Amino acid sequence: MKRFRVPWLLALWPLAALAHAHLEQAEPADGATLSASPPQFTLRFSQAAQLTALSLQKQGQAQPQKLAPLPATAGVQLRVAAPLLDPGSYELRYRVVSADGHIMTGSVHFTVAAR
Amino acid sequence: MTPDAAAVAERSLAWLCVYQAVGVALFTLLFAAQLPSMCARARRLGGIAALGGALLVLLQVPLTAARMAGEFAGMRDAILLRLALHASQAAAAAVLLSGLLLLAAGLLLRRAQPVALLGAALAVCAPTLTGHTSVHPQRLLLAPLLIVHVLIGAFWLGALWPLSLTVRLERAEVAAAVLQRFSKLASWLVPCIALAGLGMAYLLIKDKSVLERPYGLILLAKFAVFALLMGLAALNRWRFTPALAAAAPTAARTALQRSILAEYLLIAAVLVMTATLTTFFSAED
Repeated sequence: MKRFRVPWLLALWPLAALAHAHLEQAEPADGATLSASPPQFTLRFSQAAQLTALSLQKQGQAQPQKLAPLPATAGVQLRVAAPLLDPGSYELRYRVVSADGHIMTGSVHFTVAAR
Repeated sequence: MTPDAAAVAERSLAWLCVYQAVGVALFTLLFAAQLPSMCARARRLGGIAALGGALLVLLQVPLTAARMAGEFAGMRDAILLRLALHASQAAAAAVLLSGLLLLAAGLLLRRAQPVALLGAALAVCAPTLTGHTSVHPQRLLLAPLLIVHVLIGAFWLGALWPLSLTVRLERAEVAAAVLQRFSKLASWLVPCIALAGLGMAYLLIKDKSVLERPYGLILLAKFAVFALLMGLAALNRWRFTPALAAAAPTAARTALQRSILAEYLLIAAVLVMTATLTTFFSAED
């Protein structure tokens, strides 16, 4: 279960030069085709952000799968262990909170190729 | 409905209530001597708006938790609620809530105008505690611009309902005198809304290409609606108000009431645009 350390927002307050965290890099990268299931998901942001929700939806599936545990603290680079994925196209959706309290959403699409 | 859409609806309605209550507090301060019975009715409306706004503001923390989770189940997640309580929005919401409760007390109780004005001051300062204004390197410039923008906007919207009642219920010459006084004051104050908005846009927008993205497009739409509002205000001042004082007061009353209602709806639309803008977008996106 998630255990966030709350005061990070207050600690970041005077340091924040830019208000919002933007996704700079993701692994798997957006649009990537992988030869095997990835061991983890890595999201790199322009500034420290708190990951509050992460879900994975396979194309054709009705409901997304919630991923946990999420990182307990805010960070520029956030890693979450990936479940074993079958071949197919996936959408990884995230929600993070920036230093100014804004909630940012986004998604990364990737494909796990059939062996 | 998604938590994001619910948050936009909550913010829009909450700010409509804030504008109404703050505007009534300022209107009654300026026009109480001229319109004693009308101002008493307006104060009741302002007090109810303040209480309604306070209830809506109480929803902000659970809705923020729901937005963090991306689903309403987040409202029951103790960890997300704790995180939402410590976010800068919660500090702003606490100040806004205090302001609204003071406004309600000041408007609903007798001889409590200073309490209402203190509440109005807190309410208009609250948005400077969160969002871009709170963390921007030039926040010392942004904060007063935002306060001016909100304060005059609230005065404008909050005055419309009492003005509409005045047009409907007061004698034509009294209504015309009140409208003339309000229009004269507004002609100095209302352009400051646009000037403060332009100042904030200048400080926040680093790249003109923002104007092609949702943030910039919503800002441009706000300016377009503002231009429409200025057109309506000009019609009121130079056509309908003189007609009220002159030959055809009945037709002028109807035209003025319609025009005032249109102004109210357009300002409400601007509040929805602002809630959408501040919930989803940034000048840096």
